[in-house]
Amino acid sequence: MKCSLLVRRAAPLVALTVVAATIAACGGGADGSAPAGAAGGPALSPAKPVRGGTIEYGHQQEPPCISGGWVEQAYISRQVFDSLVSQVKGGKIVPWLATSWKASKDQLTWTFKLKPNVKFSDGTPLDAAAIKTNFEYWLNPKTLNSTVADYVGEYYESSAALDATTFQLKLKKPYSPLLSALSQGYFGIHSPAGLKRGVDKECVDPIGSGAFVIQKWSRGQNVTFVRNPNYNSPPANAKHQGPAYVDKLVWKFLKEPAVRYGSLTSGQSQVIYDVPSVDWDEASKKYQVLRYLTPGRPQTLSLNVTRAPFDDVKVRQALAYALDRKNAVKSAFGGAAEYNGNGSLSQSTPDYDPALADAYTYNPDKAGQLLDAAGWTKKNGDGIRTKDGKPLKALVIYGAGSIINADGATLLQTLQEQAKQVGFDLELKPLTLTQLFGGQYSTPDTYQATPGYWTSPTAGVLYIVWRQNLKDRPNYNNSAFYNNPELEKTIEAANSTLDPAEQKALYFKAQKIISDEAVAIGLYTRTSSLAIDTSKLRDVWLEDSQGEPVFSDAYLVKQ
Amino acid sequence: MSTVQPALSPGGLPGSRAVAAVAWERLRALRPGLTLAALALLFILVAAIAPSLLTSRSPTSIDLGATLQAPSAHHIFGTDQAGRDLYARVIHGTRQSLLIGLGATALSMSVAISLGFLAGLSGRFVDGAINRLLEVVFAFPVLLLALLFVTVFGASATTQIVAVGIGTAPGYARMVRGQVLAVRGSGYVEAASALGHSYPRIIRRHIFPNAMRPLVVVVTLGLGQSIVWASSLAFLGLGVAPPAPEWGALLDAGRGYVTKAWWLEVVPGLTIVAFALAVTTLGRYAQQRLEGANQR
Amino acid sequence: MTGTVDIRVSTADAVPSRASRRSVTGTARRILFRLANAVGVLWAAATVTFFIQAVLPGDRATLILNQETGRAVKRTAAEVAPINRRFGFDDSLFAQYLHYIGGLTHGDLGTSYQLKQPVTTLIADQVGPTLLLTVTALVLAWAIALVLTIATAKRGRIRSALGSGFEVVAAGLPQYWLGVILLVVFAINLGWFPVEGGTGLSGLVLPALTLAIPLAGFLGQVTRDEFEKVLDQPFITSARARGMSDLDVRTKHALRHAVLPAITLSGWALGALFSGAVVAELVFARPGLGQVLVGAASARDIPLVSGVVMLVAGVYVVANLLVDLAYGIVDPRLKDGAS
Repeated sequence: MKCSLLVRRAAPLVALTVVAATIAACGGGADGSAPAGAAGGPALSPAKPVRGGTIEYGHQQEPPCISGGWVEQAYISRQVFDSLVSQVKGGKIVPWLATSWKASKDQLTWTFKLKPNVKFSDGTPLDAAAIKTNFEYWLNPKTLNSTVADYVGEYYESSAALDATTFQLKLKKPYSPLLSALSQGYFGIHSPAGLKRGVDKECVDPIGSGAFVIQKWSRGQNVTFVRNPNYNSPPANAKHQGPAYVDKLVWKFLKEPAVRYGSLTSGQSQVIYDVPSVDWDEASKKYQVLRYLTPGRPQTLSLNVTRAPFDDVKVRQALAYALDRKNAVKSAFGGAAEYNGNGSLSQSTPDYDPALADAYTYNPDKAGQLLDAAGWTKKNGDGIRTKDGKPLKALVIYGAGSIINADGATLLQTLQEQAKQVGFDLELKPLTLTQLFGGQYSTPDTYQATPGYWTSPTAGVLYIVWRQNLKDRPNYNNSAFYNNPELEKTIEAANSTLDPAEQKALYFKAQKIISDEAVAIGLYTRTSSLAIDTSKLRDVWLEDSQGEPVFSDAYLVKQ
Repeated sequence: MSTVQPALSPGGLPGSRAVAAVAWERLRALRPGLTLAALALLFILVAAIAPSLLTSRSPTSIDLGATLQAPSAHHIFGTDQAGRDLYARVIHGTRQSLLIGLGATALSMSVAISLGFLAGLSGRFVDGAINRLLEVVFAFPVLLLALLFVTVFGASATTQIVAVGIGTAPGYARMVRGQVLAVRGSGYVEAASALGHSYPRIIRRHIFPNAMRPLVVVVTLGLGQSIVWASSLAFLGLGVAPPAPEWGALLDAGRGYVTKAWWLEVVPGLTIVAFALAVTTLGRYAQQRLEGANQR
Repeated sequence: MTGTVDIRVSTADAVPSRASRRSVTGTARRILFRLANAVGVLWAAATVTFFIQAVLPGDRATLILNQETGRAVKRTAAEVAPINRRFGFDDSLFAQYLHYIGGLTHGDLGTSYQLKQPVTTLIADQVGPTLLLTVTALVLAWAIALVLTIATAKRGRIRSALGSGFEVVAAGLPQYWLGVILLVVFAINLGWFPVEGGTGLSGLVLPALTLAIPLAGFLGQVTRDEFEKVLDQPFITSARARGMSDLDVRTKHALRHAVLPAITLSGWALGALFSGAVVAELVFARPGLGQVLVGAASARDIPLVSGVVMLVAGVYVVANLLVDLAYGIVDPRLKDGAS
């Protein structure tokens, strides 16, 4: 409904540009995976589009570099780069830089046909050789993009430019989530001439072929983009083909929720990211609110199985039963995130198993029985269970302000209180950025549980998160340190098969193992949201690989 | 000093002016500011020592059915985003807040007294060296020093105490040194040494007590400032771990809700201001008394 | 944020130096000594920052890698090796230190680990708004403090009590809290000022007030004490006897004496305001060093943190030099003796 409405409103712009008629303009994530009713806001009244002008966008976190392997970097680098393919709702892949592609029978050789006459903003051609250079750059240990490596490193064999518009990728073993992976911002194609300037330049001022070009980055403040007048390579799911309508995009970093929302209400921004939960209801009435439930791993509490008390599956299950996660999430986030009971995959991920969402519904009695059965039968003066004189205690570490925001912290405190009711003492320890990223708290001996997420358009992310952590093949992304060869084999098989039914069955099996073993307790979906003042700005959308905001189709309006 | 200014009630009749004057004298005799400060401090001390006397509610018990409620007869300071009673949280947070303030002040005073006495009593060389050291630390942005310290060692009451304590020490150290020098140069110390008293005895009997006396006041003033300092760290996200209701942490948590639930930010802020005000008022009063005693 | 304590310190400290500033050559020698001292202070500040950060726990290469990918994992030796090589973390600590200090001597503050830009560029981009905010706040604080003192000190009990009451309350306000309240009331609710960013004059008002009000409280307290003492002096009585108006007595005679301790304090205050500016910039999402500094400190970005420390130390040193000069101009013992 909303989608067709938006398209109709965009109609006056047809005169300005060529619309790709073949592809439905609303294939993209404009409404994301939002359940009905979540994307609210006032009905759009007719308005006169204006060409040019400046979009003032209030974002939240500022990444250290514009391009790189963090989702925060993907959001912003999406404005500068184009990727080979784009993903639309439901996991379907549509053309972007690649107009078509083909996999060999053995799934080891992928051939991409590229859009001709695409140029980077520095004037150099975006051809097959450029794409080859990018793959080699990402996977070169000296310039490694470790997120790219996590996705394709184990599979990548070589790449080749067959001719200017034919790029070939060879894999060591079949990898069915390949196209989904390639649709993410991390796989945006850089100008090889730009890459030659070195990593430092590439951090600050990367050169791509996208709709916008970086003009200035004022650290701590904003990044100013200007329109790329020669843009000719939007993805097939864009709302229009051709250069952006606006002249400028100011991407502001407004970390404080009250300031960010205040910037929207006061008219200093026309659109903001991450609508504060406390303002959610008001925003839904006053503005157009887009919500995107990020696929991949949801915010999940990983339980460290190498240490007591979570080395006992009964204790892990007991904790899952003890927490009224559904109500706690609802209370802490309102509409700003959804409860996600399945600890393996977010509900918006293809091949997510919805049955596991209710695998551990709130049941404190059952939690008590499981703890009794596990030998935690006595209680000390504080009401905490004990076994052999030791209290039932677990240290929960979390990146405060980075991985877990203020609402997330409220949730953890609510869960802590609920765990106490069954005699389980969770100690919360917020970590500063330095502590979190410094690696001191990333080893099995430093915590018992930790929340974390991993945005990804594919269930293939399970391989990254649950591959075994072995001495010769370490995997510290496996934050539960749960080594299960069967689980790894199942995911590997799922990633390698091309038969959708078989793949689904294998991913389901993997999710079942993770759920039965209760090594990861699902909390909530990591959520991207935008609030847009449609009296000023229309047609901003969230793309579907991980909710990156897209401004190349947006236009300002006059009332 | 004690004459009543007639200008106070310029429009009144002479008779009413006299009445007003008497009333003013009475009020002044009560010293309302001082009384209020003493009462506030007493209340805060009770909250720190025996919080359960002032509230029967738990500061951590959660009520998801009563989140973000405005102040009312039932919850006089309202409730927070998890339905916790803010009054109970402020009361139960008092002890930790005061401990951080006291700890930081104690630490910085001990560093300051050691350095200050060493500088004030030693020869030129040591004095010069310590002075240079103090100058370097003074030139450091204290907030940055504290920030670095807390980011690396993590946020806890202990790291806050150390960060704030070290950060504020140079100020006290300079003052101690100044006091020591002043007392050392004073007549009675010269007299004592002329009488042939030993140096250690002079330090113990004369210099130490006389140099320390004004510090007593400074400690009360610094206490309020330490709490303000520590809460600044909390503002930067470096406060104590939840769910501890330490005042700075309450401020930090309330910030995100300030537009929809002002009490979460205003109440803890006013608490800190009230505490700082109370100790400052009492400290200044003590200072006046001490100075008066010195003049006599 | 600021300390009543420090006021007293600076006042006490100013006493001996005031006496030594009698002759012009004395002043020149003092400035020379100060300059040499300044270089020493800067060197020490750089050294201390370098070593504090370099020896703190946590692996710098891991930190850099994880920040680039937004992940909190342990890194393998193979992953860490190229980073160590690139930033020279493999060298001995002393060699790294020499390299750093060597760069400093020709104005090279190094390249930020995290932001990948030269520190000098980063600082040059951001220092303007911060300096503007700091200086505006200082001027504003002085204006508030002086008006308050002249208007209320020894002007009847109630007025006097109101004036000093305001000062005590203002001095006890946590800056960031005041900032948040001002922001919500005047920018978000009333809409009188921009909510974020405000680079123009209207954007400067609230952040400057956030810093100025607590500082005005301190300056006011010190000035008032002196002011009241001076008003009791015989030369004031004689000036009044000569028929000088009350306002003239206050502004021409008493004020000059009364502001001396507070001027000393200003040098220190400018340094402290820098810390405060960090907070105000964060609250109001204002351009300046604040955001960069907090980011750098929390990311343990040694070159950037050291660079900012050197800058603030430099400002502190210069401010104190200026205070010395200002003293020579205002010191009534020089002027009153001559007239």
